[in-house]
Amino acid sequence: MQVKKSDIKRQAILETAYRLFRAQGFDKTSMAKITAQVGGSKATVYSHFPSKEELFVECMMAALENYMSGTLKHLDASRTDPRLALLNFGSSVLNFICSPEQLEVRRLIIAEAARSGTGKLFFDKITALRAQLSAFLTACMASGSLRRSDPELAAEQLGAMLEAEMLEPLLLQVREDSPDERETARAAKHAVDAFLRAYAPRGRQALQLKQCPN
Amino acid sequence: MKSKTEAKRLAILNAASAVFREVGFERASMSDIRARIGGSKATLYNYFPSKEKLFFEVMHQAKTHELEEAVGILRPEADDLKQELLRFGQRFLTVLYSPEAIAIRHLTIAESRRSDSGKLSFERAVVPVEKQVAEFLKKAMKRGQLRTADAKIAAIHLLSLLESELLQRVLLGVLDSVTPEVISGAVRRAVEVFLSGYQRR
Repeated sequence: MQVKKSDIKRQAILETAYRLFRAQGFDKTSMAKITAQVGGSKATVYSHFPSKEELFVECMMAALENYMSGTLKHLDASRTDPRLALLNFGSSVLNFICSPEQLEVRRLIIAEAARSGTGKLFFDKITALRAQLSAFLTACMASGSLRRSDPELAAEQLGAMLEAEMLEPLLLQVREDSPDERETARAAKHAVDAFLRAYAPRGRQALQLKQCPN
Repeated sequence: MKSKTEAKRLAILNAASAVFREVGFERASMSDIRARIGGSKATLYNYFPSKEKLFFEVMHQAKTHELEEAVGILRPEADDLKQELLRFGQRFLTVLYSPEAIAIRHLTIAESRRSDSGKLSFERAVVPVEKQVAEFLKKAMKRGQLRTADAKIAAIHLLSLLESELLQRVLLGVLDSVTPEVISGAVRRAVEVFLSGYQRR
C-alpha cells in the first residue's frame, strides 16, 4: 500500500509541532516557527491544521489516541470474560499514561487548557475515547454481567478509580521513578475489583470475582 | 537551623494572610507585610520572591486548613454511614472546587516540574486527607458497616469517585462554576457506587 504524500506531510508537521510545543510551551511556539522547521509554506501547514490551537491538541493527543485505539480493540464483550478484559485494559492504560513522556504531556495540556482555550478541544477528544469504554460497558450490561446503569457515568468512575492510586504522585513529581508493570497491574486489579462489585447485577455476587480469588 | 527558618516562614505567611485580609491583594504591599514582622525587605524576598508567590502560599495554606476541617466532620461513631459520607463529600468538594482552590491546583500541576510546589501540596494536603479518610473507613470496617478491605485503597477509591465527574472538566476549563447542586449530584452518585463496591455481602 502506498502512503499518501499529504499523510507524510501531516505526520511531519505533527512531529515537529510536538517537539517545539514541548520544548518551548504554547505561547512561544508560532505557526511560522513550525513551518520553518518542517519546510514548505505556511499555507500547507494551515491546510492540514486550521489553527495553532487545533495543531496543539492534535499533536498532544496523537500518541494517546493511537495507543488507546489499539488497547480498546481488546475490549470485546462478546468474546472475553469482562473481568479479564477490564484488567488487561486497565493495566495497559496505566502503563502508558504513567510513562514520563505522557505525564509531561498531561502537565502541558492542563497548563494550557484554561489559558489558551484548548480545554474544550481536549475534552471532546477524551470524551470520544471514553465512549468506546462505555460501549463495552453497555454490552456487559445488556448481557447481564453488569447491572443496568448509566454506562457513561460508569466509564468515568472506572477511569477515575484506575488512575487513583498511581497518577497524582507522578503528576506532582512526588514520585520520580516510573511504576513497573507489577505495580500498575496491582492498581488496575484494585480498581477493577471494586468497580465490578459496585456494578454487580443486583441480588448476585460479582461472579467474576469467584473465578480468581485474590 | 531548619526549624528557625520554618518559624520565620510561618511568621511571614501569617502576617501576609492578615494584610491580604485587611486591605485585599491589590493594595497589599511587600512593605506592609515586612512592617508587621520586622527584619529587612531582602529577608522577606529571600523567602518569597514576589507578592504573587506569597499570595499563592497563603491561599494554599488556607485551603489545606479547610480540607482538614472537611475531613474532621467524619464521625466514626455515627450509625448512618451513607449520611456521614454524603456530608463529608459535600463539604470536601465545596472546598476543593472553590475558584481559589481550582486556581491553586492548576498552578500546582503546571509548576510541578519547575518547583517543589507539587510535592508540598501532596505532602500537606493529599496525604493527610487520605490518611484520615482511611482511618475512618477502617473503623467502619471494624464495626461491620463495610466489608474488610485495604482501608488506604478504599479511601483513595472514595476520593477519586467523589472527584470523578468534576476533576477533568474543571482542569480543562469545560466546567467553570461548580455549583452546590452540581456537587450534591456528584457526591450522591459517588457515595452510592462506593458503598455498593465496599458493602458487606
